[in-house]
Amino acid sequence: PNSQFLFFEFSWYFFELNVHIGGWSTQVLQILFPISSLYNASYFHTRLIVTVIVLCRKMVLSTNFNLSHLKDELRLCALILSYSPKNESTWSHRRWVIKNLAQHLQDMPELIDKESLLVKDMAEKSKMNYRAWRHRCWLIPYMKTKQVLDELNKSKKWAELHVADNCSFHYRRSLLLALLDGAANREDSLICQSEAYLMWKEELRWNETLIRRYQGRESLWNHRRFLSQWWVQHLLSCEETSLSNESLADLFLSQEIHLLSDCLGAPGDEFGETRVQVELAALYILWISEQDAAVKGKVEERLKSVGSLKEVLARACPEKSRLWTHLLHC
Amino acid sequence: PDSPDPNTLAAEKSTAVVDGASLTKRSEEEEAMGEQGELAAEKHVRYIVTAEKKKDSFESLVMEHLRASGAYWGLTTLDLLHKLHAVDAAEVVDWIMSCYHPESGGFGGNVGHDPHVLYTLSAVQVLCLFDRLDVLDADKIADYITGLQNEDGSFSGDIWGEVDTRFSYISICTLSLLHRLHKINVEKAVEYIVSCKNLDGGFGAMPGGESHAGQIFCCVGALAITGSLHHIDRDLLGWWLCERQCRDGGLNGRPEKLADVCYSWWVLSSLIIIDRVHWIDKEKLAKFILNCQDKENGGISDRPDNAVDIYHTYFGVAGLSLMEYPGVKPIDPAYALPLDVVNRIFLTKQQ
Repeated sequence: PNSQFLFFEFSWYFFELNVHIGGWSTQVLQILFPISSLYNASYFHTRLIVTVIVLCRKMVLSTNFNLSHLKDELRLCALILSYSPKNESTWSHRRWVIKNLAQHLQDMPELIDKESLLVKDMAEKSKMNYRAWRHRCWLIPYMKTKQVLDELNKSKKWAELHVADNCSFHYRRSLLLALLDGAANREDSLICQSEAYLMWKEELRWNETLIRRYQGRESLWNHRRFLSQWWVQHLLSCEETSLSNESLADLFLSQEIHLLSDCLGAPGDEFGETRVQVELAALYILWISEQDAAVKGKVEERLKSVGSLKEVLARACPEKSRLWTHLLHC
Repeated sequence: PDSPDPNTLAAEKSTAVVDGASLTKRSEEEEAMGEQGELAAEKHVRYIVTAEKKKDSFESLVMEHLRASGAYWGLTTLDLLHKLHAVDAAEVVDWIMSCYHPESGGFGGNVGHDPHVLYTLSAVQVLCLFDRLDVLDADKIADYITGLQNEDGSFSGDIWGEVDTRFSYISICTLSLLHRLHKINVEKAVEYIVSCKNLDGGFGAMPGGESHAGQIFCCVGALAITGSLHHIDRDLLGWWLCERQCRDGGLNGRPEKLADVCYSWWVLSSLIIIDRVHWIDKEKLAKFILNCQDKENGGISDRPDNAVDIYHTYFGVAGLSLMEYPGVKPIDPAYALPLDVVNRIFLTKQQ
């Protein structure tokens, strides 16, 4: 600790000296960051970064507006983030810069692409990074429908390789919601609507394959909760137009219960993941049935072969009994 | 609250989930918690007091930019453990006021640091502990915060404009403690917070942001203080929150994350505010927190066997306080200050 202490004090002095002489410089940071990283001193980074960001903003505001200045800011942010990927002041500063750039830039799609890619790289090194993914979600309103669809496709592979990263699934949910939003509000609304339907259907199918492949992954089941919520409502509204004996909603619910019984019937494993899978599956069925009274009735009816919802929950998640006894009695 | 089914009650006695209905049950609980591994209160007090004094220590240096918050964490913990008198009140008050910027009305994280709402709340909370709100220019501070409210009702953290629901909570809490909540547009503030509500019942840092226990605490706390809890679907949010309990009894902040002691505060206080705390296993949680102590040197860490820090020491003790751990003062879940301090502020006539 003594040598670290001395290093920090010296670095701070060196940094402040540099500031007084000619403003901040990336070169100074390029020296300080790697060495302080050896000491694993993220708090030091925070202190350093907060000061740097404030200085940057003061300088950018004081000189005449210049595109190249703003692009330097992005480069500085990228440097800082490579050492401190969770630093919110830096992400915030990045957004501040982009907002300023957006007013003058023609090639926003390209900028957004680069930003998205930056977050993807950050996310690789810093898992479940709330700040980084929040930044990626922030870009969505700047995207046109085509870019939203592209992002859904491009981020799919990454999500598959990181099924425990809730942030990436939240990002996908935000993209899907943007499609729905577009379906309501934009000029290409008909395209949005049909695209939304197709993407949703595909997302449900893809999610199920992942659920079956990776046992007991909460983020996968949470994603399914979100997907079913809208999907069931959508199918119920199609009730009148269906021609087959069973309505589309009934068919979907039967499939979901089939998924549940597959989970219930799976052999136990040494890691206890099957048990978690069973718990998550039961809670998922409870989730769907809580969406509205009509759905609840349909679920109970189809569950008969497996047992009542209460029996299933009592077997699958006894520790959560306070939760489900309350919900089932309402 | 609904009356529990006697069968489930019998089955749950072993997990001892308290619904707070009967007094005898509560004291049984307290006894059970006291026996199972103890809170090394004296050690924690010593850890905090030493950290306060050693302004040139390594830990002090790296936390320099948020020392005002560090002061709040340490001092509130001392008060919860009935040991606030272990520090020199006048010295603390003087130091806190040296972080004040009279031109803006805000407090910085340390002497000479730029003002930010984060440290403004911490400063006000520290002064509440010592009953020294008299040293403040409450109107000036209220103006600082009012100036940070945006048109959509959200709040920025400082003049640089970063928006986050954390700042909504901070602004509302600070102004409420200063009896000046009416100075902001409360309706708009509430509207903005409600716009951050997600389909899973939780809240994020901004509209559409991923649900996160820390952000949820901020939104729920803010809605509680402004009397707007009716906007919350308690069953839905309670469900999301009770799923934060991990196998080891600890609480996490989001799905798939590891348990961390700080969530013992954020998840627990939220559950208490929406009256769903009986949905988690409190005994298991208490055990988890107690396992995170360093019983030799004092202090609590984020999870068992990690390095301790002031931040987690505070949240661990605060979490135990919410669960009525013996020897710990009760804490207010919305204001995050000891209950007697909050009562003093609101029940005695203030200017």
